Amino acid sequence: MATFEVFLKKDGRDEFRHVGALEAATDELAAVLARESYARRAEGDRLWIVRRTNVIDPGEEFVLPNADKPHRHHDGAAVAARRKAARAAQT
Amino acid sequence: MTLGTGTRSYLLAFADDEHLIGQQHTEWIGVAPFLEEDLAFSSIGQDELGHAAMLYEIVLDADGVLPDDATIDALAYRRNAADYRSCLLVEYRTDDWATALVRHWLYDTVEQARWGLIEGSSVDGLAELAVHAAREESFHRLHADALLDVLLQDTAARRRILAALCRLEPRILDLIAPIPGEAEAVAAGVATGRICDFAPELEAAIRARFGVSVDLSTGEPGTESRLARSADFDPLMSRMREVLDFDPAATW
Repeated sequence: MATFEVFLKKDGRDEFRHVGALEAATDELAAVLARESYARRAEGDRLWIVRRTNVIDPGEEFVLPNADKPHRHHDGAAVAARRKAARAAQT
Repeated sequence: MTLGTGTRSYLLAFADDEHLIGQQHTEWIGVAPFLEEDLAFSSIGQDELGHAAMLYEIVLDADGVLPDDATIDALAYRRNAADYRSCLLVEYRTDDWATALVRHWLYDTVEQARWGLIEGSSVDGLAELAVHAAREESFHRLHADALLDVLLQDTAARRRILAALCRLEPRILDLIAPIPGEAEAVAAGVATGRICDFAPELEAAIRARFGVSVDLSTGEPGTESRLARSADFDPLMSRMREVLDFDPAATW
């Protein structure tokens, strides 16, 4: 048995989203079981089924250091405050 | 349009088969071998119940009765046992998963052929239903085949599956036996052929699928077989009516 991750795309321009996982012996069985388990009420119009072993997971440590770089967060607040102050000084 | 007695009986036989097999499949919810199969098998059962409801609707419409929940329920659940036209295969009670799976494969293989026979039907709405249902059947068959592909490779599972096929063999004949009213349905342009002519194709399909030969050319039971109910019918119908009977006057 292999574990498969199931992605579903809703009708229209929505992107594929992860909806769950299942175990199956073959790709074909994974597809028919995903169809009945996740899309039987037309929750979406496309399915992607991916073997979990085919998902590239570089691990938590791979991205964790990027959590500590506040200088990369451009929310524009500092610039907006400076422009507001400049406008106030002009009037 | 009205239906001749024979044609009505022919369509009721199909509706009753769909109704009972749908019920049999959905009874596996919660007890199928694994969770996804619970959902898949019950979902397939619901498809069959949907086909049954639409066939009952066509019959009621032709009877001049407005098809609504009450009239469909009356036709589906409240007839006398003798008036049903179901076959032995769909009435058969089993608690064995291998038997349920083999029956699923056998029934759907024949069901797809049955829809094929009425997709050019002259009855209002029937041809459209046949095309719609046949498309669903291809997924049902994909499901049964995907499971059997895996299980038939395992020695112990293969033994159980072949034992199930032996158990069901006498009931396969009944599924493809002449259906009451079939001759009239063919003459009236409701169906383009007889299901018994599908026997050689079914034999070949069984050989290709299970690697064993089943002889469907002998012992044809004739139309009488669908005119009487087997011992499994009454308990099955009681289970089906169980909730309805809590309050027969309730509106659902």
